[in-house]
Amino acid sequence: MTAVALDGIVLGLQFGILGVGLTLVYGLGGIVNLAHGQMAVLAAIVTARLIDSGSPAVVAAFVGVVAVSVLGVVLDLTLMRPVYRQQGEHRVLLGLLLMLGVGFVIDGLLEWRYPIEALSLRFQGDPIPVLGVAMRRGSLVASAISVAAGGVLVMLLRWTTFGRATRSVIQDETGARLCGINPAAVRTVVFGVSGALAGLVAITVAMTRPVVSTDGVNLTTFGLIVAVVGGLGSVPGAFLAGIILGVVNTISAFYIGSYVSTILLLLAAATTLLLRPRGLLGIG
Amino acid sequence: MIRAYAPIAIATAVLACVPALFAGSPSMMTVVTAGLVFAAYAIAFNLIFGSTGQLFLCTGALAGIGGFGSAILSDRLGVPMVLSIGIAGAAASVVGGALSWVAVSRSLGTIFTGIVTLTFSLAFQNFVLGRGDLTGGENGLRISAGSDGVLDHQVAPYYVFLALVAVYLVLFRRIQRSRMGWAFRALRDDEVAAKLAGVAVARYRIYAGAIGSAMLGVAGAVFAHHRSFIGTTTYGFANVDIRVLVMVAFGGIGSLLGPILGATAFTALDEVLVDYAQLREVLYGVVSVVLFLGFRRGAAPTIVDSWNRRSSRWSVAKRADSAPEADSR
Repeated sequence: MTAVALDGIVLGLQFGILGVGLTLVYGLGGIVNLAHGQMAVLAAIVTARLIDSGSPAVVAAFVGVVAVSVLGVVLDLTLMRPVYRQQGEHRVLLGLLLMLGVGFVIDGLLEWRYPIEALSLRFQGDPIPVLGVAMRRGSLVASAISVAAGGVLVMLLRWTTFGRATRSVIQDETGARLCGINPAAVRTVVFGVSGALAGLVAITVAMTRPVVSTDGVNLTTFGLIVAVVGGLGSVPGAFLAGIILGVVNTISAFYIGSYVSTILLLLAAATTLLLRPRGLLGIG
Repeated sequence: MIRAYAPIAIATAVLACVPALFAGSPSMMTVVTAGLVFAAYAIAFNLIFGSTGQLFLCTGALAGIGGFGSAILSDRLGVPMVLSIGIAGAAASVVGGALSWVAVSRSLGTIFTGIVTLTFSLAFQNFVLGRGDLTGGENGLRISAGSDGVLDHQVAPYYVFLALVAVYLVLFRRIQRSRMGWAFRALRDDEVAAKLAGVAVARYRIYAGAIGSAMLGVAGAVFAHHRSFIGTTTYGFANVDIRVLVMVAFGGIGSLLGPILGATAFTALDEVLVDYAQLREVLYGVVSVVLFLGFRRGAAPTIVDSWNRRSSRWSVAKRADSAPEADSR
């Protein structure tokens, strides 16, 4: 039981980082990034290619994450400009559709150029006991990275001037502008951070199981569910939702198995939303 | 009265000429028939999302309830095909109405409705895969009912689906012009104001959900009997929901002929891209991004607007063909 729960938490932390990246971008600019999972896979493939050509894994992973982060910034500065000019529902819909198109492009490119490429990061050494359960090193490192990333992010948002600016734009864009904050600049930076988080998801997932070039759509879907269940715009909410859904998924897969476990996971997500229609820690 | 239904007549007449172009080619007939099925899905989705703002990301699942339901009823239980299509449509309607009721009673916003229905979609997919004894699972399901009737020929099914699309369009128009249509417009423009004016917002949303889902279920069921083979991807999320959303968004959300325009455009695009095999998905993405940037309010409203603005109809038709600049206003 403990072992299953711990595995669930490992998975949940990955889900959490996935959801955080989506939730930030939505909270700030109203953009549902339907290419988030594809961006993660892109980072994985970049890393895998670099490792193949002889780079050390750490350097390769770093370059992969940075590459996707840059992609996020570029998307924000180019394709998302017309989106930000729209208001309300028009903005959400246009952003969603454009990112869907971007997702197609990334997916298509990866399946065309690297159909069988996969990223798998292994760690040498014996399993380490945690709470009496032997945990694989990969899972522990992955979780440590996820927790560190989440912690740094929460601290940045809470304590720094930039973080305060970000939170104020999430709460009220007009109000933030009146206080002298430039929402466009904040959005650009956060899009970059979101890209980096997507890359990080790919790296941590690759420590527990291989990431293949067709994983994008699945990652996007799960990220979306986690972000919404956690409450769009709420970083702690996304983490909480990620861990809950990760644990539910692993436990039901272990004790029930088969297709029912996925249905249970989805049911848990839907039920949470019905009990708390704005998500676990949703705002407003 | 005539003005209201003339666009439907014209669109149907134009679509009725399509088999004349492709009658010699079975593969092209399959493509254009599938295009009509998507047009039918898109009209139903447009009724739910376009009229009442409920983002149903389970069009594929609802059509699948119709398809698998009707197939199982007719093949396993020996229910006559027409009856089984009706029952399956009613089942989809009940499910869709229930989803709508849940969304309305918890006052879920657009995105949240989208995610709840998306989880339903994925659950349905898993159910289809898991209950292989009923649905054929990964191997798919072969359907014998309907395999020896009109639905099995090449050209005849096209007209069956064209009739279905025409009926859906008339239904859509009739709803638009009825009390319900007034309520839909009121609640879409301003939900609070509509409530204050005495419009039963919740009830009308559920009506839209139930009627649209019935349309999806019936279209999915007829499609199943026409294909006589359905698998997990026939009603899959990527295969149906995303395409329908793209079609309706491109054609013009809430407009009468938008879904037809969208279905035509993206069926044509698909067919053009067939030659590019591996690059197909990339090009599909690029073209859809360009189209969405070009027609931000949808192609049908853009074309209608420029039609109304110009007095000479021929110059307009040319303009509508090269319309990306029409949005610059």
